[in-house]
Amino acid sequence: MTDKKLYSLTAVFDKPDDIINAAEKVSDSGYTKYDINTPYPVHGLDGAMKLPPSKLGYSALVLGLSGTFAAVLMIYFMSVYDYPIVIGGKPFFALPAFVPIMFEITVLAASIGTVLTMLFFFFKFPNNSHPLLETDYMKLVSVDKYGVSIQADDPKFNEDEISKLYNDLGASKILPVYWDLEEVLYEHKIVEPKFLGMLALTAIIVSGTVYFSLNKLMFMEPFSWMMEQEKLSPQQKSEFFSDGYSMRPPVEGAIARGDLPYQFADKPEMAAKILSNPLVSSEENLLLGKTKYNIYCSPCHGYFGEGDSRLRGQFPNPPSLHSQKLRDWTDGRIYHVIEVGQNVMPAYNTQMTNNEKWATILYIRALQRSLNAKESDL
Amino acid sequence: MSTVDYTREISVIEGQPPLREIDEVISKPLETKPDKKFYMAISVTLTMLLIGGIALGLSFYYGTGLWGNNNPVGWGLPIVNFVFWVGIGHAGTLISAILFLFRQKWRTGIARFAEGMTIFAVMTAGIFPLIHVGRPWLAGYLIPYPNQHSLWVNFTSPLLWDVFAVSTYFAVSFIFWYVGLIPDFAALRERTTNKIKKVIYSIGSLGWRNSNRHWQHYEMVYLILAGFATPLVLSVHTIVSFDFAISILPGWHTTIFPPYFVAGAVFSGFAMVQNVLIFIRKIFNYEHIITLKTLENMNKIILLTGSMVGYAYAMEFFIAWYSGVQPEQFTFLNRAFGPYAWAYWIMVSCNVISPQLFWFKKIRTTIPVMFVIAVFVNVGMWFERFVIVVTSLSRDYLPSSWAYFTPTLTDFGILIGSFGLFFTLLLIFTKTLPVVSIAEVKAVVDGSQPSHKDH
Amino acid sequence: MSNENSTLYSKKNLPGNFAKIGQMLLAVGLILVVLAYFVDHTRSAFNNLILLMFLTSIGVGSLFLVAMEYLGGAVWSTPFRRITEFFAAVILVIPLAAIPIYFNLHDLFHWTHAEAVAEDKILAGKSSYLNETFFIIRIVFFIAVWFLFYFLIIKNSKKQDSSGDPKLTTRNIKLSAVFIPIFGLTITFASIDWVMSLEPHWFSTIFGVYFFSGTILAALAFTTFIVVYMNEKGLLIKGIKKDHYYSLGAYLFAFINFWAYIAFSQYMLIWYANLPEETFWFLQRWEGGWMYISIALIIIHFVVPYFGLLSQPSKMNPKRLMFMSIWILFAHIIDLYWLIMPTYSKDSVPLGWIELAFPILAIGAVITVFSIKAKKENHVPIGDPKLKRGLDFRL
Repeated sequence: MTDKKLYSLTAVFDKPDDIINAAEKVSDSGYTKYDINTPYPVHGLDGAMKLPPSKLGYSALVLGLSGTFAAVLMIYFMSVYDYPIVIGGKPFFALPAFVPIMFEITVLAASIGTVLTMLFFFFKFPNNSHPLLETDYMKLVSVDKYGVSIQADDPKFNEDEISKLYNDLGASKILPVYWDLEEVLYEHKIVEPKFLGMLALTAIIVSGTVYFSLNKLMFMEPFSWMMEQEKLSPQQKSEFFSDGYSMRPPVEGAIARGDLPYQFADKPEMAAKILSNPLVSSEENLLLGKTKYNIYCSPCHGYFGEGDSRLRGQFPNPPSLHSQKLRDWTDGRIYHVIEVGQNVMPAYNTQMTNNEKWATILYIRALQRSLNAKESDL
Repeated sequence: MSTVDYTREISVIEGQPPLREIDEVISKPLETKPDKKFYMAISVTLTMLLIGGIALGLSFYYGTGLWGNNNPVGWGLPIVNFVFWVGIGHAGTLISAILFLFRQKWRTGIARFAEGMTIFAVMTAGIFPLIHVGRPWLAGYLIPYPNQHSLWVNFTSPLLWDVFAVSTYFAVSFIFWYVGLIPDFAALRERTTNKIKKVIYSIGSLGWRNSNRHWQHYEMVYLILAGFATPLVLSVHTIVSFDFAISILPGWHTTIFPPYFVAGAVFSGFAMVQNVLIFIRKIFNYEHIITLKTLENMNKIILLTGSMVGYAYAMEFFIAWYSGVQPEQFTFLNRAFGPYAWAYWIMVSCNVISPQLFWFKKIRTTIPVMFVIAVFVNVGMWFERFVIVVTSLSRDYLPSSWAYFTPTLTDFGILIGSFGLFFTLLLIFTKTLPVVSIAEVKAVVDGSQPSHKDH
Repeated sequence: MSNENSTLYSKKNLPGNFAKIGQMLLAVGLILVVLAYFVDHTRSAFNNLILLMFLTSIGVGSLFLVAMEYLGGAVWSTPFRRITEFFAAVILVIPLAAIPIYFNLHDLFHWTHAEAVAEDKILAGKSSYLNETFFIIRIVFFIAVWFLFYFLIIKNSKKQDSSGDPKLTTRNIKLSAVFIPIFGLTITFASIDWVMSLEPHWFSTIFGVYFFSGTILAALAFTTFIVVYMNEKGLLIKGIKKDHYYSLGAYLFAFINFWAYIAFSQYMLIWYANLPEETFWFLQRWEGGWMYISIALIIIHFVVPYFGLLSQPSKMNPKRLMFMSIWILFAHIIDLYWLIMPTYSKDSVPLGWIELAFPILAIGAVITVFSIKAKKENHVPIGDPKLKRGLDFRL
């Protein structure tokens, strides 16, 4: 007895009715640190042991509701706040369509969370070093016997009294259970080389696999086939066409839909006379014109049309748009310059649509007027 | 016919076996070496798996052009198979959760096994949407995580709901299954003498010590899990049905789809469980645990759900006519009398007519007959999905784009492979884990519960 | 085999004011209804439809619950099965509620107007189903079938009180097995005919299931209320306890969820697909003030009872159960109101004394039928072989 440390005194019963009786007697006798072990849940034992009802229902409720809340928050953030897209004409916050995922996350959080709460919080599992495990007692109560175990650290613990109680209750066997001394006395080191080795090995394997699959595997056949397609990229040399271009020019005389060729290429005066601005100077058009002006014109002519951009001095100075000449030009004449270019100014016929050109002219007119306003403008 | 005694409960475990014997019978397959029959069975299933593997490998290498999928039938067999396997997966949770809530004790003998089938079926099902996206290695984008494109998934898409539903279903089924296994791991840990097995069982049991202080919470958790799994199991196939029903395609867009799909899933799942159980109880001598009465009860549920499916077919047909919407009317006539009439009539005769034979007690309790009917039901349910997916797509609003869909050999190879995977996992399961819940069965043996005389 | 319980059970009378309340409600309701018909003919006809559907829910739903007990082999509900059977007797007054409908078909159903059908291609296409003759034939057939099964099943159950013959149970199981599919079809088509065809252009395949879920919920609520009420007063047999209450509560809870599931599925699919031939039905229930009723329906029919019955103790609490049962009956009336009345008034929510008169009559009729039956017959199926097991029932 000296080199053994008693954990508990256990008794084994044969019948479910006996164990109910025993549980009642043991709990009535005032023992608190005792347990009943049965191979399956025996109905009525909870009442006999006077256990309070399980509180796990509440944790399920809390976990479930927090799951719902988290789901709403997540969906709201992603689909309404961070990157809203109209899909199928539905509102950004399409509640009916979010219900399925809200429900699934609720169930997931509640069920997994409740089980984990029970195992790790209520039961303090895993606990494979419990002294009751691997004993003759456990071998019996995990098959067909029903056992009571009163722990030695119970304040009322007295071996003889308990043995007597067990015998009175009709126990078929009384077994003492001892601590496994080797385990009790084992000193845990903070740094276990085995454990560290395992960690290092896991880290190497995981990072290696991730590296290989993302950086090597994805570039092997057939995964790479999406990247290596048998087609020519823009600017690549073509072996097939005699001119070596991979991009084909349109057939001669082809006209883009809705786009008539410019008729006054070398007749600026004709353009000045015939062309007129189809747009009215509405806020919308002026805004469009401003945008386009700031993109295409401002790098040389400056944001206010004074020819004072940062290019001044590095280049033939771009002219001011406020000169009398320009103010006298008709819209058609300015259109001509945008369309075909002038001196070092390139043509903008491909960059801008007709509408945009006219809108830009409207904006230029507005700029001109801002420096040389008439009295009637006030 | 002799009169039934209604004053006593019919015991779900026949013959009141001693509890020790239950341990022995259930753990016997785990303690004995596999016999010749097992090797024969697993070599068949592995061959099937290999065929599937080859078909999949070819599909990965050359692309999905190897399948029969065409334009307009873009969904083809992969989605048919997906819906089929998810459906099979529904019986397990139904048995373990819904029948638990209804306190149907006969479920104890078959619950563990059915749950296992659920997990394997969902795993099998998961393959199909992944391969159907064409580049399964990019499937990670289905999960909403902060990525380099700063794009999020589309939460209004039923295909995304599927991702959540199926993965939640898998996770919850798995945890349900594992929670049920913990006490059995403990029982096996105390039983085994093999050192390696002892380590495995110890890890699995987490140190379970059959304490009643634990049993109390354990039963509560089981109830809570059942309470959550029941709406979950309904939601999964409901969401699968949304994949179809939220569209505007005639034959897909009909409001009865959610309950109809759930009934169909339970129907096919039970048939599959039935098929496998008939073998299991015979081979492992579980006739007293999985009794004929249990099988009869399952047949009743097959009859019930089969009738629900029949009701849904009838409603679809009636309302299609009643709606006065021409495309709806055409779609249903096309199903019954169009180019896929053969599939439609296979579906109707297998799903609606064959289970009606279960009205007769004689047929409900004759094992070979019920086996054949259960096979029919599975065939019929596969064809149901085929009919839904293919007929509606192959002839939609635009007659100029109609096309006939024919599955290719690769398609069938993958289908065979899915069966191979499912049954291989199942066979491994029978030899590694207790296929019947030891603790639950013991709890329902006659005389295992106190008599409550003094209460 | 005389049952040992027959000695323990002595038939008790309902408290006198119970029948009186029923008769009073019935009388008040009747007077108001007659008055209502004089005041506003069409509006009364629509309300009459609510009355008819409510009585159908209670009567046929209760018979379904009885059949389910037999078929499912349930024992926990055996000790109070007779209560459900009493409610099934409401089937007998369904024709009385249906007769005014017959005289007001033109007020209710757009498709009965020949000139409207002639102009409308879609309605013309449906006319082989939606025509007055076939409609009447169907209704008579449904009611006849319900009568038939009511008498067959209840007769066997009553006979067992004296004989205690288990063969009667076997016979009823078989009858129930036949009744349940017939119930499924009749309730579906009854709901299509009486409610869905109010808006003859609209269609939804789930509609029968939707109505079914509400039906069972209402029947179950009435049974729950009376069982808890009578048991708390000691008017039933000794042995009905928390476990039985819990089961009733759990069933109510399950069907609340089922109703929500079906209602959501129907709404979601129509909302998402957004096809004009379907969405107008929900739009009607969103415009002209109906939005408030629609939102109230979600809260009254789902949210409140869901949280009211969520926790385990609340399912065993007699007061909570009784309150929730009445609440659910109220919710069912709101549900029927929401289904039927928008067809009558699209621009405004008609709420007046007429809308009150018909539910009063409905409740009065159900209580009166119940108290007449309860006076005559045993409150407990004393001859049922499952009774002992039912009383011993534990969770």
